Amino acid sequence: MNTTIRLLALLSLMAPSVLALADDTPKIDTSQWKCKFCAFEEPGVTGALDIGIGYVSDDSYKFGEYNGLNEKGGYFIGNAIVRIRAEDAKYWNIDINNAGLDSRSVNIEGGKQGSYELKLNYDELPHNITDSIATPFLGVGGSNLTLPSTWVRAGSTAGMTDLSNSLHPTDLQTKRKRVGVGATFIASERWKYAVSYRHETREGTRAVGSAFFFNGAQLVMPVDYVTQQIDVSASYTGNAFQARFAYYGSLFSDNNTALTWQNPYVSAAGADSGQLAQPPDNAFHQLTAELGYDFSERTRATADLSIGRMTQNQDFLPVTTNTSLTGYPFALPRSSLDGLVDTVNGKLKITSRVTPKLNLGLTYIYNDHDDKTPQATYTWVSTDTNVNSTTRTNLPYSFRQNKLKLEADYQLTGNTRLSAGFDNDKNDRTYQEVSDTTENTVWGKGKVRIPGTAEMTIKLAHAKRDIGNYEALPWLSPEENPLLRKYNMADRDRDLGSLRIQLLSFNNVSVGFGFEYANDVYSHSSVGLTASRDFSLNADMSAVVDAKTTLYIFLNHEEISSQQSGSSTATIADWSGENKDTIDTIGFGFKHTIIEKKLDVGGDFSITNSQGRVIVDAGSAAAPFPDINADFISAKLYAAYKLRDNLTLKGTYWYQKLDSTNWSYDGVAVDTVSNLLALGQTSPNYSVNVVMMSVRYQF
Amino acid sequence: MNNKNTALTAAIVLFGLLATSVLFAEEAMPKAPAASKAQPQVKPGTTPDARTMSAYTQKGADTCIKCHDEDSVFPVFSIFKTRHAQTADKRSPFAYLQCETCHGPGAEHAKKVPPGQNQAPIITFGPRSKLTKDKLNPVSVDKQNKICLSCHQGDDRINWHGSIHANADLACVSCHRIHVAHDPVLSKTTQAEVCYRCHTKVRADFYKTSVHPVRAGLLTCSDCHTPHGSSAEHLLIKPTVNQTCYTCHAEKRGPFLWEHAPVAEDCSLCHRPHGSVYPALLTKSLPLLCQQCHSVAGHPAVARTGDALPGGSSPPSAFLLAGSCTNCHSQVHGSNHPSGVRGMR
Repeated sequence: MNTTIRLLALLSLMAPSVLALADDTPKIDTSQWKCKFCAFEEPGVTGALDIGIGYVSDDSYKFGEYNGLNEKGGYFIGNAIVRIRAEDAKYWNIDINNAGLDSRSVNIEGGKQGSYELKLNYDELPHNITDSIATPFLGVGGSNLTLPSTWVRAGSTAGMTDLSNSLHPTDLQTKRKRVGVGATFIASERWKYAVSYRHETREGTRAVGSAFFFNGAQLVMPVDYVTQQIDVSASYTGNAFQARFAYYGSLFSDNNTALTWQNPYVSAAGADSGQLAQPPDNAFHQLTAELGYDFSERTRATADLSIGRMTQNQDFLPVTTNTSLTGYPFALPRSSLDGLVDTVNGKLKITSRVTPKLNLGLTYIYNDHDDKTPQATYTWVSTDTNVNSTTRTNLPYSFRQNKLKLEADYQLTGNTRLSAGFDNDKNDRTYQEVSDTTENTVWGKGKVRIPGTAEMTIKLAHAKRDIGNYEALPWLSPEENPLLRKYNMADRDRDLGSLRIQLLSFNNVSVGFGFEYANDVYSHSSVGLTASRDFSLNADMSAVVDAKTTLYIFLNHEEISSQQSGSSTATIADWSGENKDTIDTIGFGFKHTIIEKKLDVGGDFSITNSQGRVIVDAGSAAAPFPDINADFISAKLYAAYKLRDNLTLKGTYWYQKLDSTNWSYDGVAVDTVSNLLALGQTSPNYSVNVVMMSVRYQF
Repeated sequence: MNNKNTALTAAIVLFGLLATSVLFAEEAMPKAPAASKAQPQVKPGTTPDARTMSAYTQKGADTCIKCHDEDSVFPVFSIFKTRHAQTADKRSPFAYLQCETCHGPGAEHAKKVPPGQNQAPIITFGPRSKLTKDKLNPVSVDKQNKICLSCHQGDDRINWHGSIHANADLACVSCHRIHVAHDPVLSKTTQAEVCYRCHTKVRADFYKTSVHPVRAGLLTCSDCHTPHGSSAEHLLIKPTVNQTCYTCHAEKRGPFLWEHAPVAEDCSLCHRPHGSVYPALLTKSLPLLCQQCHSVAGHPAVARTGDALPGGSSPPSAFLLAGSCTNCHSQVHGSNHPSGVRGMR
């Protein structure tokens, strides 16, 4: 609060210093400015149409994860751009992309420039997750999964003798379809109003885990979501003062409330079936004001304030569907949650060029997520099997952040600039082990320019986070290890550094080198995450070789590692774990004109090798984990040959290959684990060739 | 949250103070003169240097086009396919002082010079102006941007000053191309390439096996980030990480009856939004990810080793394989089921 008062005082002091710009605008005689050589667009219709066919050599969900090229066979290539220009600044633009694929989109915008603009768009976004799975459950895609009548229940997967007979392949995929409309009205030179609405459906399936005691089954859960988003805004743009007032609404609804499935194991306590909750319907409404003001040529302030409310009040599912349990049906303290979270997000920033060489900045950030959901005590049944002897009260977690940032920037010489800053970040939490954490960060940045040769930027930062008392939560049973420190609420020393060198030694050649690292040490955490490190090196080059040829290359090497400790006895640490990821990426490409204004060719190539290494030292000899590997190659060659001024033949050959392994999935068939009826997912591997031929007609 | 109300009150007072002072100040400000083709005036702040540099040309754009045709070193004709060249829109540069609206008075620059000599300077845009000794290009980034902002200061540019990109000395034209029919940074399929010119590590992130659909051209940087400054960290489009994620993942918003505290706080505690070598953009493999915060006596506290892999010395373990912890605790984003206390319903 003291910070806020200080900001208030500062603003008050600055207010009288408002300067007005002098009205010394000269008048210019433009009577001879005919613009007769200006090639303004004439009213009419122009555009381009791509029509062709493509062929995909192999089925692969991973290759076609998002692009829609997941199935072997031919597909239609259809893209179009239409530009309609009329008198008086009226226009329409129509863009159609990927018409023959599941990633198709149509965007239409038009109106009268300077007066109003209308938008209509439709797009589809597939997410093909995997087609390597199988399940014995019937009704996949629905909200009620049943087992075939021949199913043989057993205490373990090995005893499920009908499994191979009942198993049928299926896939996991979702598809978003979005329709959006919008309008913008420019009411005056200074006022602009906009409204937009987007309706999105997401349908398909996803994997979900389920359990009866320690017997698990991976299920296919239906996805049938509808999300509506509304944006309404009014913007004011003045010479010195700008403002934007906005409303944002987001309404989510799920056409399924629950997934019910039959227990594939021998039932305990009469639990023949179970029920999982689907994401509940919810809503978010937010009002925002953004203000910007130039107190003078040298001083500017901006202030943002957003006030929002999240609500959720879907009827509860029953405590259990197991009618055999003593006490069934179990009473609920309320029929729905009446969930309510109020959010306040604010930012105030003042920047000032105190002297021609010195800039100062002050930023205050306030974020509040205040969960006002009513608390109640609930009887709960563990996995539809066991009525817990202790009830539980829901915990509406609230979070609040107060952050103050000070920074100074000084132009030491014409080519050297130094910056430094201090951040104070205070976070409060409720119902968690730590009620407040404070992190102080000091940072410095130097930028040196060697005119015509290079520019170098180096940044270093050190942050120290201190927590108050760390108290294990009393309502957990069994209680958490008192030595555990959750890493987002633990004492932490963080060092950050980055270096970027941009060379400009040669005309038309740009070469850059970069280095980034982040090093976190949780020095007071004996159990939990104890350290993490992220380090990367990169280089890139782009060149205009001559008027006919351009090329680029980039390389990146990254290492992400972390160490953690655990305690199998929930006391002092007796095992450790290390995660180390190494990722190398190289990419290069070129564009070349073979025959001027006739034949252009190009190519894009990339190779990525990644390795995820997990090492767990349990204090005794144990088998190591194999690496999690992914070797990715992509090569694309394309050419465009102009048949006529308005007709171009385009061809593309695209090869992509992925070899990946992941011990989490590989070798894990549906019945490999005795107490897990898995989906049998495997790591993606593919080698796909795509050929595309199309003609572009320009009109 | 005991002092929330006082903080909120203070924030409202700040807004009030700012708004009040602004309203009075705006009254004192001279309004920008209405553009008139016959007798236009220079907008305050539009070309602060231009007035001291030279006079305006006699024939406006026709003077410029004599040299800057399609075959020149600096071809400009594609600007006529852009909004900047729409004369019926009175806000457009070509409805005002044509080329010289942005480039300033060009009479001196247009004068013929003896062979071997450079033209007189004119306001130009681009990084070369600060990175070379080119005296023809002396305009600082700050002054370049002022010219653009004299028309484009509103909307999402309100927060430009003091933003991370502004502090990095980025000129508007570092990302935007003005004299082309389609500015690549405004297109979903080409925008990321523009951003990658500086954010090279992020480009590499999107080649990892678990990513958002940026390489497929279905999502782009500005779907999550607002490059002109933001009230949020990392230039996010919404004030917090979670509010940004919920624009596409509203099913995870809740509030749920049984919340998972770190999920409600910050999605990036478990996910790497630009790409990961682990499925679902997770920061590391399970069960180690969960065991960073869960060490309750019993199965969460036990070290899981390669012994429990298929073919290992121990039976294959559901605590380790397939979904690991999520084989049973699947509702990691929160559950609204009365019995979903531990994320199992």
